[in-house]
Amino acid sequence: MARIDAENWEPKILAFCCNWCTYTGADLAGLNRMKYPDNIRIVRVPCSGRVNPQFILRGFQKGYDGVLVCGCHPGDCHYTSGNYFTRRRFLLMKRLLEYAGIETGRFQARWISGAEAAKFRDTVLKVTEEIRALGPNHRMKEADDHE
Amino acid sequence: MSDVQNTLRDRVRSLLAEGKISCFIGWGPTRFKDRTIPKFANKPEDAGELVYNEHCLSNLAKYALDFQFSAEVAGIAVRGCESRAINRLIADGRLTRSKLYLVGIPCEGMLENGSTAEKCAFCRHRNPVVYDELIGEPVAEQENPPRFEQVLELESASSEDRYDFWQREFAKCIRCYACRNACPACNCMECYTEQYRTGWQGKQANTLENSVFGFTRAYHIGDRCIECGECERVCPMGIPLMKLNRKLVKDVESLFGSEESGLSDDASHALGCYDKEDLEEFM
Repeated sequence: MARIDAENWEPKILAFCCNWCTYTGADLAGLNRMKYPDNIRIVRVPCSGRVNPQFILRGFQKGYDGVLVCGCHPGDCHYTSGNYFTRRRFLLMKRLLEYAGIETGRFQARWISGAEAAKFRDTVLKVTEEIRALGPNHRMKEADDHE
Repeated sequence: MSDVQNTLRDRVRSLLAEGKISCFIGWGPTRFKDRTIPKFANKPEDAGELVYNEHCLSNLAKYALDFQFSAEVAGIAVRGCESRAINRLIADGRLTRSKLYLVGIPCEGMLENGSTAEKCAFCRHRNPVVYDELIGEPVAEQENPPRFEQVLELESASSEDRYDFWQREFAKCIRCYACRNACPACNCMECYTEQYRTGWQGKQANTLENSVFGFTRAYHIGDRCIECGECERVCPMGIPLMKLNRKLVKDVESLFGSEESGLSDDASHALGCYDKEDLEEFM
């Protein structure tokens, strides 16, 4: 297997997508044959409210260079209010991560509806480019021999 | 302060003798003049061993949980910090107000190694916010102590320096969980650190896992921290935990406009509710 070095490094991004909006939006992007970077690893969750802020820390520990949390637009939640809680949680978590020394931009959250395939593609493109510019993440990452 | 101690002993003696309370939680003496430990007075004659002086550093509120399933009323000495902690525990559903008898004591700050204790320096509630009776006269509150000064200082450092700072601090952590055990907001029946099968948290005692534990604990109590500073005081390794907690308190106050935690036993807290008009950063 080829060694990953500065030459061939590609950002690895963990994306939590809510089943009812963003995951459907990603599906629609696929149906429409939209091209978006394969740097993203999607984890389907029942609601963005399912995403425990600890998952973000875990993502960085396990070697992801960026983490993205996506859900329905506020007001559109399948469970009425899940994403309002998500919004509060991650407004706070984002600031805590920055305070803890994770660079701004490594953690992001976006609202993408089931119809917004283009927004999904654009978001993935933009986030990937931003994280590519930041380079590989070494902070809060487990040493390789722990993996 | 010795008259407060005498009044406290007298009151506790009669409360226990009348059968109004089954036990009183206060402070007791140790071998050292400048140290006290929590003391449980079960009989009227125990009241004479209670101590109240400028070395009563421990926050007693968490000990009230020993009586959470008791049918009897427990008495407890409450200063500003304990009273807010008691409110926190009631709001979190762990204690019942009617099963507690709160003896309020206004406090002018405690001493630690000869100077004002770190935990008392930024205190905004020296008088108990809830009590059944008050011993002594209310004292003047500190006018806007600069409680977020240290947070602002660290915020202005570069991202790399902040990372190095916290990793350096958490390298000292021995995962004794004293911070959690002393914290009145850390009152879950089962702490996440004891859940061994979730699969998404590590158990290794290395710097990284220690820091993940530290950040997670801070986040868990972020919207409920009463800023009593007990976690930092009990930390045997001297990790500046309040620098982390106050960051969250500051953000919760500025983002959601919440009032300080523990001022009432109202169960609402910032992350347990929402406002449709919250700040929108994720569009």
